[in-house]
Amino acid sequence: MDRNQLVKWLQAPAKMAHKYSLHAVYFCTGCGIIEVPPTITARWDAERFGVIPTATPRHANLFLITGYVSLKTLRAIIRTYEQMPEPKFSVGFGSCPINGGMYYDSYNTIKHLDRYMPIDGYIAGCMPRPEAIFVAVTHLWTLIDKDMADGYKRYRRYYAQYRANQERVLGRLEWPPLFPAGGDA
Amino acid sequence: MRILGFVISPLAALAVGIFFLGLTRRFMARTQWRYGPPLYQPLIDMLRFFTQKSVSHGAIFDLGVILSLAGSLVVVLFLPFGRICPLQGSGGLLVVLYLMLLAPLGLALSAGEAANPNSSIGISRMFALALGYEVPLLLIVLAAMTRYDTISIVEIVAAQRAAVPNLATFPLVLSGIAYLLILPALLGLRPFDVAQAPQEISSGPLAELGGRYLALAQIQNALSLFIGISLFVNLMWGGASNPLVFFLKMLVVFAFGLWISASFPRLRVEQAVRYLWRWPTLLAFVGLLLVVVIRR
Amino acid sequence: MSLPVLLALALGGSLLTYILSGINARLRDAIAVIASLTVAAAVASLYGRTVETTLGTGFLGFPLVLRIGPLSWLFAMAVSAIGCLSVIFSLSYMRGKGRTGFYYAMLLLVDAAMLGVVLSGDLLSLFIFWEVMSWSTFLLISTNGGPALAAGMKYFIMSITGSLAMLVGIVWIFATTGTMQFSGVAAGLSAAAPGTRLGVLVLFGIAFGVKSAVWPFHAWLPPAHSEAPSPFSAVLSGVLIKMGVYGFLLTMYVVIGMRGFLSLGWRALPVHTILAIIGAVTIIVATLIALAQNDAKRLLAWSTVAQAGYIFLGISFGTAVAVAGGILHFLSHAVFKALLFMAAGAVEYRTGGVRDLDSLGGLIKKMPVTFAAALIGVCGLIGVPLTNGFVSKWLIYKTLIVDGSPFLAFIALIGTWGTVLYGYKFLHNIFLGQLPEKYANLKPAPFSMRLPMVILALVVVLFGVLPGIPLAVVDAIGSSFGFATLGVIPGGIAGETGTINMVNIFAAIIVGVVLAWLIFRAGARGARVGQADSYAAGGPVPTDRYQYSVHFYAPLQRMLAPWLRDPVDAFYGGLGARVVKLSDGLRRIYTGLVADYVMYVMLFLGALILVQIVWRPW
Repeated sequence: MDRNQLVKWLQAPAKMAHKYSLHAVYFCTGCGIIEVPPTITARWDAERFGVIPTATPRHANLFLITGYVSLKTLRAIIRTYEQMPEPKFSVGFGSCPINGGMYYDSYNTIKHLDRYMPIDGYIAGCMPRPEAIFVAVTHLWTLIDKDMADGYKRYRRYYAQYRANQERVLGRLEWPPLFPAGGDA
Repeated sequence: MRILGFVISPLAALAVGIFFLGLTRRFMARTQWRYGPPLYQPLIDMLRFFTQKSVSHGAIFDLGVILSLAGSLVVVLFLPFGRICPLQGSGGLLVVLYLMLLAPLGLALSAGEAANPNSSIGISRMFALALGYEVPLLLIVLAAMTRYDTISIVEIVAAQRAAVPNLATFPLVLSGIAYLLILPALLGLRPFDVAQAPQEISSGPLAELGGRYLALAQIQNALSLFIGISLFVNLMWGGASNPLVFFLKMLVVFAFGLWISASFPRLRVEQAVRYLWRWPTLLAFVGLLLVVVIRR
Repeated sequence: MSLPVLLALALGGSLLTYILSGINARLRDAIAVIASLTVAAAVASLYGRTVETTLGTGFLGFPLVLRIGPLSWLFAMAVSAIGCLSVIFSLSYMRGKGRTGFYYAMLLLVDAAMLGVVLSGDLLSLFIFWEVMSWSTFLLISTNGGPALAAGMKYFIMSITGSLAMLVGIVWIFATTGTMQFSGVAAGLSAAAPGTRLGVLVLFGIAFGVKSAVWPFHAWLPPAHSEAPSPFSAVLSGVLIKMGVYGFLLTMYVVIGMRGFLSLGWRALPVHTILAIIGAVTIIVATLIALAQNDAKRLLAWSTVAQAGYIFLGISFGTAVAVAGGILHFLSHAVFKALLFMAAGAVEYRTGGVRDLDSLGGLIKKMPVTFAAALIGVCGLIGVPLTNGFVSKWLIYKTLIVDGSPFLAFIALIGTWGTVLYGYKFLHNIFLGQLPEKYANLKPAPFSMRLPMVILALVVVLFGVLPGIPLAVVDAIGSSFGFATLGVIPGGIAGETGTINMVNIFAAIIVGVVLAWLIFRAGARGARVGQADSYAAGGPVPTDRYQYSVHFYAPLQRMLAPWLRDPVDAFYGGLGARVVKLSDGLRRIYTGLVADYVMYVMLFLGALILVQIVWRPW
């Protein structure tokens, strides 16, 4: 870990702060959430990495979508993601957000989550072990360092398309568009 | 020279408070047989909060957290830290007790404006708990003020340093024990953190505070840790002649508070208030009674 | 401007308003405002003067004297200022309601009577104006009818009991000293036996205790203040209660005299300590009951009882600082309680009569000025530094601690924390939280309602930052009683009794706020969102009710419920019920048959003859 690299801190303190203070919204999507409590408790201590769960999206900058996403859950996920303050990062956990996973032929699940909200990275597996979560966190740090973790910027730029996708699959949305101009940089 | 005191005092309080926040997380982790984040993790968190663009619910939402932090900053100016005490003769301990009201009130205004029932529930619990620990706390502070016949903290500290331990100081020991018993409630640590119960009410008053608002709330939390412990060291442990010894005394007291916090689960509001109004109040009441009797 | 002219102006204003109400409503409104403004200005012009005038015509052979000194001036100023502001507030509030002419006339009459009470220089004129004040208040409280009538009757019966006690006291004083003028009574009573002084104190204490609502005479206040029209509630809580305080000050420090009052009782438990303990009991009981209230005005009414306890505690404790604190707290309370009742009245006016704390919410978005004024009022009520409530409470606490009554200080300080709780409940349930859909088109309060609220809020802050302004007058009052002076500076006091400098604290808080604001500005700015964008666990925010306001302090209420039953009110209720039963039994004498009446007359004559034969009294 490059926590101690003073030079990097001085050059980009905001980036370093986001890396070492990834607070995840404790949003329990699907089966994958069962892997999160072992990760944050004593055996595989996630707090060493600066990762702790938070109760409300307003405090968080990491969103773990831990498992399959049904249509009902998609509403809540999008709402929660939109309520997180920017900059924020989202990680798909398990095979289901990637391509539908085990529920690839279900009528009720989302097969490609990336169409409805931006994902910065995926963790493959069904379910991934806690060590995989740590590898993903360190990989996310590398992405943040290289300015490649820009899911939230993509959401802002292509909001019109994301919103259209959401409305197509969910019907009428109860909340107004997050970026009223329809998409700006 | 006095201007220097105005600058050093809040900065020292901030540094000590943030260190205590980090110490909390590290201590909790260690007692749970894990490693925990580094001691400077709260600084990283605060920096991250400052760079996040969170939402505002209105003017009072902004002003509330500002008022809360301002209140804590001003209280710090009244408390001696070693020999540094910028505001000495402007009203003493009573002003401190009253300025300590500004912090929860500011947070309550922000949380109210957030229009979220989680915030409102958190505030009602926070005030109920405050009424709970204020009963013994006031008895303790009154015992100290009555014992030394003054409302000025600096005079109390000086009187304690000059006094020889004798039977007349015994009642204050009772008050000191009562203070230690209510210390986690005063600092908002488990088992008295029901106001912020993340699992129940989504962090209570902080539910809608994100970004820079959360950063200010964290800074205010750090300062309130400093204020709660510094009050104890000044009133019950004789203060100190230099800041380093003062800091060490604070560390000992805070370690005791953390030990209780790590050992007990969260209490409900009525359980907490019932506890606070039972033994700590009894001890503090007896302490005050003894002080009044001895004074006669 | 001489005192009889001033009183005539006040009374004449009331009469003129009543006459004009039949002619033209606008003219009546204008005359009411002008009359009250003129009276206020006239009182202000009498600042610093000590005048004593004997009215030409006596009453029943006794001379009627009017006088003004520092004590009377302060109370007269409070009465006329708050009265004037509530008349301005009534301009919009009473529009469209019935019997407005009667209302204005009574409002001005109450103000005039209160002015008469504080300007009276002898006990008889005090009693006359006291009675006028009592029944005109009753008429105004029961204007709305229904529960207001019951509340008014409760007030009236208790007030009459007090007035009768006062009358007995006056007669006793006259029998002892031979005069009724304050200047002569003090000298006469100091030569009398201590039993006389104690008796006078008890009798006058009943009268003034009822008016100033100290426990156990507080039972009339909550229903009366909540059922009265809101601008009159402001006057009631603001200044009518203080007539009782004025009476207490008069009794304790003018009629009986400072030395006499402080020496009453036994060495271990002097009478003034007992009175201070009664004040403390009032604070605790009323604060805890106020926590549980769901009606905005009833909460404020119980809060008035609690603050009256503070004032009573201050003035009966007996040191210079305590009396100064008590008198200053009367002034502070008059200002911020009137402000809070006006805010509740503005909300009631706009929402069509809603006072229920369980159904309001979020009104800050529609009535921001009302909210700002109510916030400053609540801060004054709590005693946040930089408001006038803080200085007066600080003075009371300081003297309680330093002069050896830490238990009383403890009760007073806990009262403050209870005040924080119910003050925040008042603010939160009305102004913060979610705005219900039915109030989405609420208009802000009209200008004539906002003006008095803003003025009072400015006074709260001004007297908080520069308490030397009111403290100068309070110090003069204390000196006139015989206490040592306090050493008043513009920012507070700086004598050997203690130091507090609000200007320093103000500077420190301003620096703190600026510092906090700079730290705040360093952060990244976000968007402004409405109440629909709130955390609701990923779902849409429910529009019907996403607000926590019912049973706001439920855990505390559950814990305190067994302690919050009011035995005093139950006692009064039981007493009233028993009297009703007794009267109901007695009325059965009137059977309606003439034969029965003839039999009664015969029986009575027979009893008289029997008495004459046996005992021969005549």
